Amino acid sequence: MLRLRIGFVLIAMVLSFFGARLVQLQGVDPGSYAAMAAAEGAVKVPLEAERGDILDRNGIPLADSIKGKMIIADPALTAARAPELARLLSDELSVDYFKTLTALRGRKERSRYEYVARRVPSTLAGDTVAALDEAGFEGISLQDDPIRDYPAGDVAANLIGYMGTDEPLGGFERTFDKQLAGVDGQATWQSNSGKGVRIPLRESTLKAAQNGAPLRTTIDRDLQWFTQKVLAQSVQQYRAESGAAIVMDTRTGEILALADVPTFDANKPTEADEDDLGSRALNDTYEPGSVEKVLTASSLIDAGKAFPRQRFKVPPNLARQDRVIGDWFDHGNIRLTLAGIIAQSSNIGTVLAADAFTPVELVSYLQRFGLGQKTNVGVRGETSGILTPGEAMTSQTKDRVAFGQSLSVNVAQMAAAVNTVANGGVRVSPSLISGSAVTDDGVTVGTDVATRTRVISKQAARGTAKMMEKVVDPEDGVAPAAQVPGYLVAGKTGTAQRVEAECGCYDGSTSVSFGGFAPADDARFTVYVVIHAPRVDGGGGSITGPVFSRIMGYVLGRYGVEPTNGTPSRLPVEW
Amino acid sequence: MSSPALQPRTRVTRIAQEAVDKARLTVVPRVRTRAPRVPFVTLVSLVLVAGIVGLLLFNTSMQQASFTASSLENQADTLAAREQTLRMELDELRNPQRVALEAQQMGMVIPAAPVFLDLETGKTTGVRTPATRENAIQLLPPAPVKPAILAPAPTIVEAAPVVPEVSPEVSPEVSPETTTQGTTESRAKNTNKPGRKNRNR
Repeated sequence: MLRLRIGFVLIAMVLSFFGARLVQLQGVDPGSYAAMAAAEGAVKVPLEAERGDILDRNGIPLADSIKGKMIIADPALTAARAPELARLLSDELSVDYFKTLTALRGRKERSRYEYVARRVPSTLAGDTVAALDEAGFEGISLQDDPIRDYPAGDVAANLIGYMGTDEPLGGFERTFDKQLAGVDGQATWQSNSGKGVRIPLRESTLKAAQNGAPLRTTIDRDLQWFTQKVLAQSVQQYRAESGAAIVMDTRTGEILALADVPTFDANKPTEADEDDLGSRALNDTYEPGSVEKVLTASSLIDAGKAFPRQRFKVPPNLARQDRVIGDWFDHGNIRLTLAGIIAQSSNIGTVLAADAFTPVELVSYLQRFGLGQKTNVGVRGETSGILTPGEAMTSQTKDRVAFGQSLSVNVAQMAAAVNTVANGGVRVSPSLISGSAVTDDGVTVGTDVATRTRVISKQAARGTAKMMEKVVDPEDGVAPAAQVPGYLVAGKTGTAQRVEAECGCYDGSTSVSFGGFAPADDARFTVYVVIHAPRVDGGGGSITGPVFSRIMGYVLGRYGVEPTNGTPSRLPVEW
Repeated sequence: MSSPALQPRTRVTRIAQEAVDKARLTVVPRVRTRAPRVPFVTLVSLVLVAGIVGLLLFNTSMQQASFTASSLENQADTLAAREQTLRMELDELRNPQRVALEAQQMGMVIPAAPVFLDLETGKTTGVRTPATRENAIQLLPPAPVKPAILAPAPTIVEAAPVVPEVSPEVSPEVSPETTTQGTTESRAKNTNKPGRKNRNR
């Protein structure tokens, strides 16, 4: 009897243990055990979203993504035969032998995961792994690692930016990352022995990756390339510090090319000087110099305070309150028309003409031309330039502003301002993005949100264009080199004293520039070129004039714009 | 079956007790028509076996399909990667820089201004300007300045007065009298550039 009782008690104790364990498993945290069971044999594959391409206006990729792999070593398996394996890998993948060897042996104690190579094209990676399998090596695996490729290297690199190891580091890549990046997906399934073969009829889920949307720019790749080459050649020839050039479609404000020199190869950003990675054209300000006279003169004409044939007596120098204003060329008392003042680029003449304006009037025109405000084309860190408000402007400052000093601009602002004259007095806001896109600051940019505002009357724009034609006149003007054979060209030179960033003063170096449009009587394109700190003597006409002519000649031919056969300007320059 | 038997009961006399006794209803042992078991069992077994074999085959084929799917997926991946690599190569071949280099090697240059030919009238518009060698644009950046150690020329700029002695060594093909000036200048450039580079870095 006793034995039976003891037996029952023992059985009861054991059963109660089982019961407690059951409650623990099922009652306390059933979810985690279920998950553990599911994880056994489950395969999770991240599905990388493909990064959207950055396209030029014709759909040619400036940046595209291709499938790539990272090659990963498990040192626990590779350390034993590391030298042989490293030799094979360095031969196949052209990676450094010693770095590979270190990786295969493990950079840290008991490491199980080391990168051997990243961004290897899938085909090459696949072939390499096949070769390794054949040779009987173990411990090398592959993971997805998309490659960002810039097929044209340095073409528009300053605008499109570049990628770091995993994240965008500059340019459009970073500004429009949200659009380009897409959303990664994931596939989960049950697998046998981890070989990636699905067990049929078992649970499997698929969350497809959402690929990034492409970003279409207004850049014309071939034109951009040509612009960069021509500009680089001049920058080098005149041993200048830097240069920028921009080509705008007069009617739509689309920027067809925006070149920066020096530039960099977007495929190898680490090899470039850090200062060259951004877009100087939009991030740096400079004083525009005499190209600004176009804006002063056209404003005066629009306000009815001057006309192209208006006569001015221009003295050798002009004493104003704080300093004497001089011209770039020595002259006695000369008699120039307003057209002559523009053609000869006389500072004194411009100041005399601008005397009809109060500072407030002049500044309000310049603001309407877009100076002092960001163009919002979508380039990171764009400067808004400096334009002193009219109320705070002294008459001396106004005098200097009238001929383009004591105010600073970026290249897109200046091009858009000159383009206003080309476009019959209507300012079209410039754009670099075709359609629209949202920047990381939440600003919508692009051709869809481009604005048009009338700044000066059509007659004033026409009159100014006629005066600008005189600038490239071989007899009356200062920049015959800017002519394009067969076409009527209107333009304006600029040679500005340049502020050296370190000392914050005029150090004697100059920014030479040329802005203009063609055909002058029915403008289609505006080209603006600026070269900073050339170490060879020269002005806007001789240094940037030929660059302008070359780019303009190419773009007119490329877009099939025939000469208009209009009558050249017959405005008198002297009286 | 029993209703026609009711009427005779009333009329029949007990004349044949024995027969009546004989005819009295008794419980008859039920006759079982025993169907042959073998075909049924065979049928069921066959269905069972067929089902199991079918399921097995089905499973095997599913597994097989899964293997095929995996290998096809791999193949698709490989082909997609191949296509992308080829596309990248194509894009690199289309690189304007490469096209321009080839074109310039063939002697082509980009003209300074376009001329239009009207196919109907055969007339041209625009100014016909010859495209000359001068129109060719510089496609490659200038050769990088060599580091000082690889170009171990003495710094001639500082030692300007003694330049004539050194210059024949530098350009032996040209007579020293005529080239003194030129060499000094080119040297000045050479020594200048690395210095500037260093400052920028």
